[in-house]
Amino acid sequence: MVMVLSSIILGLKYLFTRPYTRLVPEKEPPFKTETTRGRHVLFMEKCTGCTMCQRVCPADAIQMVKVEGEWKMNRKKIFPRIDMQRCTFCAMCVEVCPTGALAMTDMTGWDMTTDNKETTMYMPYQLTPPEGHKLTVTKQKWIPPPPMFKPKPKVPPKKATR
Amino acid sequence: MGKVREVEVLLGPQHPGAPGNVAFRLKLDGERVIDADVIPGYLHRGFEKMMEYRWWEVDVVMSARFCVEDPDNFELAYVRAAEDVYGVEPPEKARRVRTIIAEMGRIQSHLFWLLFIGGVVGARYIPSWAMAAREEILKWYDYITGHRVYHHYMVPGGIRWNIPQDFQERTLKVLRFVERIVNDIKRALFDNKIFQARTRGMGVLKASDAIRLGATGPVLRGSGVRHDIRIVDPYEAYDEVEFEVPVGEYGDSYDRCLVRLKEIYQSISIIRQLVGKVSPDGIYRYKIPLVAPPGEGIGRVETARGEYLIHITSTGGQTPYRVRLRTPSMAHLTTVIKHVLRNEEITIADFPVFVKSLDPCAPDLDR
Ligand code: SF4
Ligand code: SF4
Repeated sequence: MVMVLSSIILGLKYLFTRPYTRLVPEKEPPFKTETTRGRHVLFMEKCTGCTMCQRVCPADAIQMVKVEGEWKMNRKKIFPRIDMQRCTFCAMCVEVCPTGALAMTDMTGWDMTTDNKETTMYMPYQLTPPEGHKLTVTKQKWIPPPPMFKPKPKVPPKKATR
Repeated sequence: MGKVREVEVLLGPQHPGAPGNVAFRLKLDGERVIDADVIPGYLHRGFEKMMEYRWWEVDVVMSARFCVEDPDNFELAYVRAAEDVYGVEPPEKARRVRTIIAEMGRIQSHLFWLLFIGGVVGARYIPSWAMAAREEILKWYDYITGHRVYHHYMVPGGIRWNIPQDFQERTLKVLRFVERIVNDIKRALFDNKIFQARTRGMGVLKASDAIRLGATGPVLRGSGVRHDIRIVDPYEAYDEVEFEVPVGEYGDSYDRCLVRLKEIYQSISIIRQLVGKVSPDGIYRYKIPLVAPPGEGIGRVETARGEYLIHITSTGGQTPYRVRLRTPSMAHLTTVIKHVLRNEEITIADFPVFVKSLDPCAPDLDR
């Protein structure tokens, strides 16, 4: 008993401190920061239909779909649609998009929870800025763009060393 | 009287005593576990193959997922291997920030492990404080990198985006919080005689055996071998900092636990030394071209669980030609467990404690 007394005393100290856990969503909203990567926003007037976002996506969450209408920048009229069930929220598509048409908001999976699987596929015209959520990761993060690494003309293959 | 009968028992994958999504086929002789076969594959996703189909920068997203609990060190190894292929030197600032991120990963991995070791010895209350400390670190990650668990913050050539203005204050604040809680856990759990009785003298792994069986990380150091990749082959900014490598004395479960606890303090000290040296100004990244030169690259880091090595072959394309990983948990879950069970009487009640003291990670076993 004496040997574990200090554990008990310390335990009592924590017993009477304010609980660390928070009541979400009754008391507080889920924790978010100004960098949290969440659901995408597509600015359709900026998108050129270059399919870079589709090619970069590691989770294969992006497919290009046709949207009828007058698109000055987008002759082929193809835009990305994003399957939020597959998306890993890595923001690679935001980084690679040459025109800054894609951005991310702090609408995380918590806000998108649904019991209807059909609603997780976001068509281009559904990817509007969601209400009550801020834009977080945008192309601004990479402005000015990092300098390009210039590889040396010839890199000889390395020998494995022990 | 009756002749000895062996009973076969399946432990896991859904069992509080099993380390994550991995199962064991135990052979019991009465109470004693005489053999354990690991049943892997519950988390096999074929990452080595998947990485061959994704661009060099995008493979960072894959590599974070080898180990859920300690993604940053795994990211770091891939990034270093890719940089080796390209021949790019990351900016100095990026190297320091990556070291800080990786050390935070080590702390949060050890804190997470504290909850499990508490769970298997039947002390859930005290280690739940560790979760509060880990939560602060995850919030810090969310602020810096945008995600709580999978950060994707390192890229070949540097870090993904610049650090925020108040990076230093935030980091120091988190460290103060973590240190206070870890101090309390040390007093309440590690100095507790009941915890010591459960772990002292149990699961002894001698130094010579540990080396022979391929153990690395805290398991090897718990056996008294001072071997740490951060010291013997310094990478990133580890040559700029001073830190100790804690080692155990007897190689039992308690020593391994204590090594991890001491490592938390060392990681805190490493971050404190580095955080003053980074500032938001300056280049943080070199963008690498899409196509890599042909060649090979190696990334070798000390993760929270041990030595991790990644070898990449490039034939000069947009994607790696072949990726091969050597993850730490494989040796711990197979050879080390079998060896200890053969030489020592470990009962079924002690088995989860012993396995958890090795801190294996099911995702990195299966990958
Ligand atoms: S965030 Fe990543 S996973 Fe999601 S759509 Fe963009 S590239 Fe794909
Ligand atoms: S969103 Fe960006 S990357 Fe994707 S097709 Fe449009 S312009 Fe190209």
